[in-house]
Amino acid sequence: MTNTDIAAPMAATTAKSRFSGAQQKLLAFGTLIILVIGFSLASPNFMQTSNILAILQATSVNGILAVAATLVIITGGIDLSVGTLMTFTAVIAGVVLTYWGFPLPIGIIASLLTGALVGLTSGAIIAKMKIPPFIATLGMMLILKGLSLVISGTKPIYFNDTPSFPLISTESFIGDLIPGVPVPNGVLVLFIVAGLASYILGRTVLGRYCFALGSNEEAARLSGVSVDNWKMAVYSLSGGICGIAGLVIASRLNSAQPALGQGYELDAIAAVVIGGTSLAGGRGTILGTVIGALIMSVLLNGLRILSMPQEWQTVVTGSIIIIAVYADMMRKRKA
Amino acid sequence: MKTIIEMKGIEKRFPGVHALKSARFDLRAGEVHALMGENGAGKSTLMKILAGIYRPDAGEIIMEGEPLELTDPRSAQTAGIGIIHQELSLMNDLTAAQNIFIGREPRKSFGRLDERLLNQQAADIFKTMRLKLDPQVTVGSLTIAKQQMVEIAKALSYQFRVLIMDEPTAALNDAEIADLFSIIRDLKAQGVGVVYISHKMDELKRIADRVTIMRDGEYVDTVPAADTPISTIITKMVGREVKDEALQVPDTSNNPIALEVKGLRRGREIKDVSFALRQGEILGFAGLMGAGRTEVARAIFGADPLDAGEILVHGKSVSIRSPHDAVGAGIGYLSEDRKHFGLALPMDVRNNIALASLKSFIRFPGRLDENAMKKTAEGYIQRLGIRTPSDTQEVKLLSGGNQQKVVIAKWLLRNCDILIFDEPTRGIDVGAKSEIYQLLVELAKSGKAIIVISSELPEVMRLSHRIAVMCEGRLTGILPGGATTRQEDIMHLATLRESMVIETETEMQRRVG
Amino acid sequence: MFTRRTFLGAVSATAVVAATGVAKAADKIYIPLISKGFQHQFWQAVKAGADKAAKEFDIQVTFEGPDTEAQVDKQIDMLSAALAKHPAAIGFAALDSKAAIPLLKKAQAEKIPVIAFDSGVDSDIPVTTCSTDNVAAAALAADKMAALIGNEGKVALVVHDQTSRTGIDRRDGFVKQIKAKYPKIEIVDIQYGAGDQLQSTEITKSIITAHPDIKGFFGANEGSAIGVVNGVKESKKSNVVIIGYDSGKAQKQAIMDGVMAGAITQNPVGIGYETVKAALAAVKGQPVEKHIDTGFYWYDKSNIADPKIAAVLYD
Repeated sequence: MTNTDIAAPMAATTAKSRFSGAQQKLLAFGTLIILVIGFSLASPNFMQTSNILAILQATSVNGILAVAATLVIITGGIDLSVGTLMTFTAVIAGVVLTYWGFPLPIGIIASLLTGALVGLTSGAIIAKMKIPPFIATLGMMLILKGLSLVISGTKPIYFNDTPSFPLISTESFIGDLIPGVPVPNGVLVLFIVAGLASYILGRTVLGRYCFALGSNEEAARLSGVSVDNWKMAVYSLSGGICGIAGLVIASRLNSAQPALGQGYELDAIAAVVIGGTSLAGGRGTILGTVIGALIMSVLLNGLRILSMPQEWQTVVTGSIIIIAVYADMMRKRKA
Repeated sequence: MKTIIEMKGIEKRFPGVHALKSARFDLRAGEVHALMGENGAGKSTLMKILAGIYRPDAGEIIMEGEPLELTDPRSAQTAGIGIIHQELSLMNDLTAAQNIFIGREPRKSFGRLDERLLNQQAADIFKTMRLKLDPQVTVGSLTIAKQQMVEIAKALSYQFRVLIMDEPTAALNDAEIADLFSIIRDLKAQGVGVVYISHKMDELKRIADRVTIMRDGEYVDTVPAADTPISTIITKMVGREVKDEALQVPDTSNNPIALEVKGLRRGREIKDVSFALRQGEILGFAGLMGAGRTEVARAIFGADPLDAGEILVHGKSVSIRSPHDAVGAGIGYLSEDRKHFGLALPMDVRNNIALASLKSFIRFPGRLDENAMKKTAEGYIQRLGIRTPSDTQEVKLLSGGNQQKVVIAKWLLRNCDILIFDEPTRGIDVGAKSEIYQLLVELAKSGKAIIVISSELPEVMRLSHRIAVMCEGRLTGILPGGATTRQEDIMHLATLRESMVIETETEMQRRVG
Repeated sequence: MFTRRTFLGAVSATAVVAATGVAKAADKIYIPLISKGFQHQFWQAVKAGADKAAKEFDIQVTFEGPDTEAQVDKQIDMLSAALAKHPAAIGFAALDSKAAIPLLKKAQAEKIPVIAFDSGVDSDIPVTTCSTDNVAAAALAADKMAALIGNEGKVALVVHDQTSRTGIDRRDGFVKQIKAKYPKIEIVDIQYGAGDQLQSTEITKSIITAHPDIKGFFGANEGSAIGVVNGVKESKKSNVVIIGYDSGKAQKQAIMDGVMAGAITQNPVGIGYETVKAALAAVKGQPVEKHIDTGFYWYDKSNIADPKIAAVLYD
């Protein structure tokens, strides 16, 4: 009974989105709250402002990538290249800013455009050449991994000549306004990206077609929706968001690390599924994904704070992913 | 009445198939024009060309005197031609309103959606259809019949001048069919031309003005619906006379009982269902959509868990927790959805027949004996009269009737002596239907115990030695087969709701007894 | 409700188990080591040295590192979680020094001494650095290679990666020594296999295919070296001189079997031990040297059983 009592007010705030099923997010949100409470009780070191900020900071990149992955997964596709695309856009930013010495805005635009263009390419390979998304983006993942190393000359590119670069991720606008709560800008970027993506999904034609494609692509095609073009649009948008992630991670590390990125796509996909998005497409929310990403970083940080041996941290994280998705399935079967 | 659409000399070839040979068709404003033919006759192909889904290899389409070029579904929609597909093509995760207006959502600036206007417009359409449905309900949560209505609402929303309906009543019950027909009459009154494809002969008489018959991709004839006997239409479709033999109910009362179920219960879907089935007997299950017939079959087959109840096979109580257990007990289930559950469509006939019995074809050291499989498959192809060029033909290339025979062969090979047929002739054309009927009768003669679930009353009455009728999860009565049972008797039991049981109990006992 | 309760149960059980594990050691001096890796035997040997020191001095030590040496940001997350625990000191082997500077400054501000280990940290914040001189060690490998192939012929390098400090130092140390002292030796190829045995095997085989007359290989870390051994074996090639780096059971076996001529070993156990020892000294305010060289050795079939060598080798 207690659960329904808590459920009512929360459901009211989330009921707006038509595709959600407020419960699904509630489940993820409940898990997050319980993890936070559990870790706070277990260690006084967990609930420190600096540690909470560190958790948010650690979520920012994975969260943004997960938002990008969510859009594609809702269409019934998958994007394995989000991690290496992030790296690739970071390297492009490095080339533009450090090697060519352009001012910061040009670097940002270059990074976003690169992401969108690569996304468009993936989308075209999938929509026009009819290559399954898994294969197309697997190929793209490797291409980008290689290109990042080639373009960077296999070494990190540092942004020492662009002193304002750390602004994107590590500085804190919020901290300037409210001293004592120096939420890093990277986290701010995550929330802005998530808000925009959520709006696009719920309120625009592009978002509507994401769900339509994932739900029944053939039906959408027969309804006169130009499926190919919209698919490419979704992958472009997702790629552009990866470009944002590239800027955030480069800013955080003050360098573009060309060897980074592979493996990040799996973390992003894990956050998406923990957040209740169906890998089969047609269903999902950005809010769920952000909560999913938070669950992953809270879990990892908490286990570290508790000094759990690293090999066991991995075991626990894996188990939580399976349990979370299973719980979600059980809930749906009952509904 | 003036002609809106004229199709002439339409040619269409698919790899290996000449689907349309100089086909023609015309449609007048304000008429319902039925298009008849066996599966593979080319009706759906012809209509997909009219809907812009396929492009013809040759021929012309003339709309109100002007030649019409249809390149894709969108160009057909622009021309005012719409189609309601046989297979539901809705997006389950979207709401009814979102489905109806997909591709044409009312928009505000910057690609933003006007959700309120969207729902308002959908509600307006539902009102004209006299349909009580919340535009904001997710389509996946609706019954198949309601989904069908959403599909129809979607077609209406375009305000087409030509509307093609491909088997629109397949999932509807009688009341819903009546609603649909009154919608169609409204459309006629507005001057809309309706192309109506259906396998249900009785519907033609009720709704169609003219009937065009096709066979093997060719135009055969166009006749007025009102004064053409159905037998004439069928003869034209099949190209030969189809004998419709009267049902002979054999005396099976002394045969041993093959299957008995006692007190089956599962949630609100199955409420205390008990019956017995003898060897050599065909037991028909009648009832409206959602009466629980398929649920009973699935429960017996172990596809869904039971809350309570006992299943006895040949007098022995068996525990069936999964389809695997059921098959082990000799029960075969032929699902109504062959494509999804009965067949591995991309695999060939041989493998589909052997699929449930692969173990018996394993030779050392794990090799499959293709020769034995080939011989077995060829045996069944001959015995059941499966029309296929060879046993290595992919099943998806066979017609519905022959696919059904492949499924039957599969279960026969598995030595199942209790066979449950769920809608055995859904999507199968008239000629093949009587072959399937004949096959069922022969299977029964050979001692198999058979359950037939069908939504088409004539089918149940034609086949069943006894008729079990269900309503809202309860078995409301078992009637004897043959000429003594009238359609009205079955309908009475099929609509006997629980609240009415007490007052009519005595009457029911009299009927059943 | 059943599943949700189970789920919560699982979470809280985990938390409780972990919490009790920590509570025991709560009042000891606590020193976390954030390493560059975790899964490789080399890092496990460093961990063993750190654990040994922890036991000896009765303090608590934890050891963590990212899955691959490219995951700079994950290492930083680990460092920041470690700082949140207000440790007495921190051991840190930076994947990318510059990216870690803000956190190291924070440590400095909180008066937490930082001990750099392995490849160290490019900054003056660390109190000391416990590491191997990789350039000198790789140069020694080059000298041994030259002697074994008779000062002329073709050789190739299989290196773990092209961005990390150890990768660069070992590659450059080897290449510079060859170029400076052995003009008749030609380096025909340098390839990178991510320290992955399988990838390095494939790389080795393709190099052999391209240069059938190759005389020697240098595998720049444990995974690369084992990959080279496998690649040469699978190519059925004999008379190829293989020089490895670090130890591990497979590499030791290859040396005993004569497939591998010999290898450079660092002293990973010593790195872990010295790091903890130096950290403890810093905590207690005792003076520590600015650089602690943990040493390296050449070992082959002749001296592998030597107690001095055997002590620094790991399985």
